[in-house]
Amino acid sequence: MLKKLGYTNVRHYGGGMADWVASGGPVERSNPPAETSQARSSVRRNVPRRLSWLEILANWPLERLIGFWIGMILVFGLIYWITGISMGWGLQTGNVAVKPDLNGLETAIYFSFVTALSIGYGDVIPLGALRILAVTEGIAGLLIFGCVISKLVSRRQEELTEEIHRTTFEDRLDRVRTNLHLVFLDLGSVQQLQAEQGTLTGQVLRRLESTVRVFRGELQTIHDLLYRPNVDPDEEALESLLANLVICLQSLVELNGSRPTGSGQSASLDASLRSISRLAQEICGECVPRVYAPSLKESMDQIQELARRIA
Amino acid sequence: MAKQQKQVTGTEHLTISREEILNRLQDRALVIVNVTPKESFVEGHIPGSINLPVADIESKARQLISNPSQEIAVYCAGPT
Repeated sequence: MLKKLGYTNVRHYGGGMADWVASGGPVERSNPPAETSQARSSVRRNVPRRLSWLEILANWPLERLIGFWIGMILVFGLIYWITGISMGWGLQTGNVAVKPDLNGLETAIYFSFVTALSIGYGDVIPLGALRILAVTEGIAGLLIFGCVISKLVSRRQEELTEEIHRTTFEDRLDRVRTNLHLVFLDLGSVQQLQAEQGTLTGQVLRRLESTVRVFRGELQTIHDLLYRPNVDPDEEALESLLANLVICLQSLVELNGSRPTGSGQSASLDASLRSISRLAQEICGECVPRVYAPSLKESMDQIQELARRIA
Repeated sequence: MAKQQKQVTGTEHLTISREEILNRLQDRALVIVNVTPKESFVEGHIPGSINLPVADIESKARQLISNPSQEIAVYCAGPT
């Protein structure tokens, strides 16, 4: 029962599940919501959201929805027809009751379609209790048909949003990669200047500060990318990104190690470095929520290792 | 692992009573954490509690509970 990871307000329920059950406390059975890592801010996500049947219907795939709709109409038609047979009353065309034969079945199904589509020609009319049934079918038919239409409309839209997401995402990865490269070049030149002058002059220090700040921002992006559950960057892109990150960190570690004490102190630089170290330490093969290829894991572990050396 | 070790203030041995948990099931300020393995969690748990198996505490706690001062009640399978 260790909770020493920095949480300060932890209390322990000693009785555990056994005591809880013995005392008749409510018990819930479900899939563990904790498995996915999307619960960053919203803990308690397994209070079940009650879906109305309509919402459940709307979540069905289009084909199933259409099938259900047609099935429902056929079943209703059958019911009209069977009531016609068994009760002797049912549908009526003009003044003649619909006969319980094949022709009658055809009429009943025709009536069912006309009702479900809320066309209501009025050439076939329901009698008695069938009126209630017909109205129910009308309502259900409209609602389900609405679901079908909304599905059709949103399908195209979903495709578009997905496309947009993908392209912006790729753009962003590209930008991060470019920036990391620039950071690397900049760190290199700062290192060179430092070697030449033996100390960090004000101008060089400011340059280093801004480089490190940019680096921090990009690192944050990569960190978010690794911890965000719903995007799936392709591994190749990720690999080059991580490789860039590793060389930047390496260069930063070297620079930080050779930074002369006394001169070249800067609070903002230190803060950025701390923040970089904290973020990068959270990147390792085992601590990110998803499982990646071994080579990627290796880079991640390398990143964590380097981050420890900055701290 | 990659955790910022904060000062443990010696509060980790406080206990919470069954009644309090029962009364605060709907209270979002209290996060109830089940530290049993996933299998036993699926079989039954206190409603609204989240599953964080002991083995995963180090690696997953940060993601599930981001706020270190979050009020948390932990429990496991039986009396401890």
